[in-house]
Amino acid sequence: MMIELKNLTKVFEVNKNNKTTALKDLNLNIKEGELLVIKGASGSGKSTVLSLIASLSKPTNGEVIVDKKRVSKLPDNFASLYRREHIGFIFQKYNLIPTLSVKENILLPLIPQNPNEIEAQKLLEKVMKKFKIEHKKDNIVKNLSGGEQQRVAIARSQVNDPKIIIADEPTANLDKELSLHFIEILRELKKTKKTIIIATHDPLFFELDFVDRIIELSNGELIR
Amino acid sequence: MKNKINTYLIEYAINSLLRQKYKNIFILIVFTFLTSLLTSIFFISNSIKYELNTTLKSLPQITVQKLKAGRHHSINTQVVDHIINIAGVEDAIPRVWGYYYFENAGVNFSIVGIDEFENQYKDSLNKIIKENDFSKAEENSSMIVGTGVKKILDENYYSEYFNFIRPDGTFKKVDIAGTFKSNLQLESNDIILLPKEIALDIFDMEEDMATDIIVKVSNPEEIFTIASKIKLMYPDTRVITNKELEISYQNIFDYKGGIFLALFIISIFTFFIIIYDKVSGLSSEEKKEIGILKAIGWKVEDVLKEKFYESFIISFIAYTFGVLISFTFVYIFQAPLLRNIFTGYSELKTSFELPFVFDFNTLFLVFFLSVPIYIAATIIPSWKSATIETDKVIR
Amino acid sequence: MILSPEVLTIIILNIIFLIFGTIAFILSIRIFFNWNVESTSQKQYTLEKQSFLSATIIKYILSIKILLFIFFIFTLDKISNVLTGAMCAAGVVDATSYGIYLLLFKLINIYLFGFWLIIHNFDIKTETLKFTKLKFGLFLFIYFLFISEIVLEITMFSSIDVAKLVSCCGTLYSNTQTSYLSSIFMINSSYLLISFYSSLGFLILFYLVRNDYLYIIFNLIFLILAIITLITFFGTYIYELPTHHCPFCMLQNEYSYVGYILYLSLFVGTFYGFNIGISNILTQDNENSAYYYKMSLVFILFYTVLVSYYPISYYLKNGVFL
Repeated sequence: MMIELKNLTKVFEVNKNNKTTALKDLNLNIKEGELLVIKGASGSGKSTVLSLIASLSKPTNGEVIVDKKRVSKLPDNFASLYRREHIGFIFQKYNLIPTLSVKENILLPLIPQNPNEIEAQKLLEKVMKKFKIEHKKDNIVKNLSGGEQQRVAIARSQVNDPKIIIADEPTANLDKELSLHFIEILRELKKTKKTIIIATHDPLFFELDFVDRIIELSNGELIR
Repeated sequence: MKNKINTYLIEYAINSLLRQKYKNIFILIVFTFLTSLLTSIFFISNSIKYELNTTLKSLPQITVQKLKAGRHHSINTQVVDHIINIAGVEDAIPRVWGYYYFENAGVNFSIVGIDEFENQYKDSLNKIIKENDFSKAEENSSMIVGTGVKKILDENYYSEYFNFIRPDGTFKKVDIAGTFKSNLQLESNDIILLPKEIALDIFDMEEDMATDIIVKVSNPEEIFTIASKIKLMYPDTRVITNKELEISYQNIFDYKGGIFLALFIISIFTFFIIIYDKVSGLSSEEKKEIGILKAIGWKVEDVLKEKFYESFIISFIAYTFGVLISFTFVYIFQAPLLRNIFTGYSELKTSFELPFVFDFNTLFLVFFLSVPIYIAATIIPSWKSATIETDKVIR
Repeated sequence: MILSPEVLTIIILNIIFLIFGTIAFILSIRIFFNWNVESTSQKQYTLEKQSFLSATIIKYILSIKILLFIFFIFTLDKISNVLTGAMCAAGVVDATSYGIYLLLFKLINIYLFGFWLIIHNFDIKTETLKFTKLKFGLFLFIYFLFISEIVLEITMFSSIDVAKLVSCCGTLYSNTQTSYLSSIFMINSSYLLISFYSSLGFLILFYLVRNDYLYIIFNLIFLILAIITLITFFGTYIYELPTHHCPFCMLQNEYSYVGYILYLSLFVGTFYGFNIGISNILTQDNENSAYYYKMSLVFILFYTVLVSYYPISYYLKNGVFL
């Protein structure tokens, strides 16, 4: 899935006099299968880029085109369909529901589709096997170790087998060991030829051999 | 329309409710309480209405009362002969009855004068007369009392006889010959049956006078016509038909029920505000959760649907519990305290049992007054949470 | 003023509908005049969010409205016990000059709200939300009908005078009256019957041929004829009394509440029928077309069979018609 960002601008209006420009006229092309790291301090606009690509917010100007289709102005119905089918979101703090089981957490993206029981089971099994947590499928998430929770979060993002993976500061709350663990999983995902975009200021990512490109944002503009 | 119900969504909704256990249990308790209060009021008034209607059935078809200066006065029994001659009139019976205020206990007794040889205006009275020997009662100047009366008299140390005080201040001693219990609880409690002569004596009425005259009509369709004829014959009387009585009773009951409904509106309004406040105040945790759901592919509609399931589940459970609790309260515990609102303290403290009256209407009424209102209160908060700017909350 | 708990409940809920309906109305105005799908301004995004609120409000109002309507009819029946002269809901409807209009408004509004939701459901499936402006413009119109209904309702209930005598359905729906209602009795009932059954025939024909426009037209014709023949002909067989033409008495217990079943199937069937117009012609959404056609015909056929059962069984039992 080719991602094109054309003249992308996002202005946040707190009120009429208080406006912040998060992104200024960004132009960027991301190739299919590319692993892109977006570097920048907080406030630089990297999270905004991610949410625009995922069609979680709408730009003030410009377009986001994914696979020749303009996703930036899709109505809610279509935007969420796009997200569900093509985007796998990995959050900073995993954002799992601690009182539900592993299985139930991974099931979350599928719920609105009201899938057939058998099909749902198949999808769940497949993705739990892949990330090696099927042996804990009925365990309550809050009782799992950090590493296991990480794998659940990633499994959940992969249950619909999306072509694009987006991670926003995935290692910000992790210790060294878990961060390295995450990077290993990333290596595996890269092999599947998915497009991966990571926004981070963790230096661990800047020295990786399987990262295709690193760009830097500052004050909403591309500097490198 | 073709989709089967999304059980996953319902499960998620239930889970979500349980995740906010304390807040939701509080709402559930308050709402259940309000619902059970409302249902109890309806149940009690339905039961009392039923009791009353059963009484109403035995009401006289036409009652003729003499009015003097707009006030009730005793009527001359001569009128009876003229009324009987009206076509369609089956019978006209003069009645001697009234209220006697027993000062020590602060209650009113209903006194009904019985003439053994005349037709009784009510079948239940006929039964009672057969069962208790009235001929003796007349000889020995004694009376038969209802169970409620007996209790009061016993409490005031009048176990064998009672001293009535005549209007001129003199005493009339009347023995208590027996107690009766009619199948109408509201009735048997404060009634004293005694020979007509004694009643006339106690009320200081002359022999050819009566309290009122009741008229029996062979064809119920003609009640209205005959009533008008009587009114024409005797312009100084008030002629009341049974239908008019029934309507006025129904209206009083609905009116009373209406007042409570009006009060209930106020409490619903307050509750509305509380719910709105509670549901609106989304913790940052809740906001994050919805942000995540949307990020992983949930539509605004899906979030709205889920929130709707949450509201419906709470309000429906509150409704069901409310009805069940109220049912237990009213029919098993006989609704202490609450029933006094309807039966009033000033009358003889009636100790009747609330009959079980099942009415679908009430169940629907309470449903409409609870579930849709709760859901309405959650519409705007649910929408607000469903349309949150996702990118802001998942940072 | 009748202050029974049922009436109060209906009024309370209507006030809630009024409040929320007005919110939806204000939002509809904003959306209708400012909607621009192409725009990327904050204003447009806010409008998009608000359109969800309006849709939710309308969904809520419609679903409760339908339940409440059934309850309303039931309440009319109950009130008839307190009004002298009224023996069924007909007396209550006739007690004020607003009664019959209120009934009509309620029915029409339910249909309209339903149509709105059909359009809405299709609209959100289009990528350009192309019916948004249309549907909110439509709501502006529906809102006024909705307000009229609520005003009528409150006026009607407050002006019912318990002491005033009302006519029973026997006099209201008879040939001897001079109201416009009685003019339908002037038409020979055999002509009415023939028209009724032939309109059904046409409906079946257009169903098979799938001619949308003609199906809708005959759907409307069928609805009107069904109600007329119910009053003039079929009703008399339900009551087994040639002079009893009341459309409301059949809602009572003594006739096994068959009125509810008849009216429900008639209204649901014709609703689906009109839906074909909305979806095939207006929104060009042919996905559910077959479903709507089928449902419409099923309910209409069911109605016809049920309503025809009465005269036929009477004839079989007694050898003659009334």
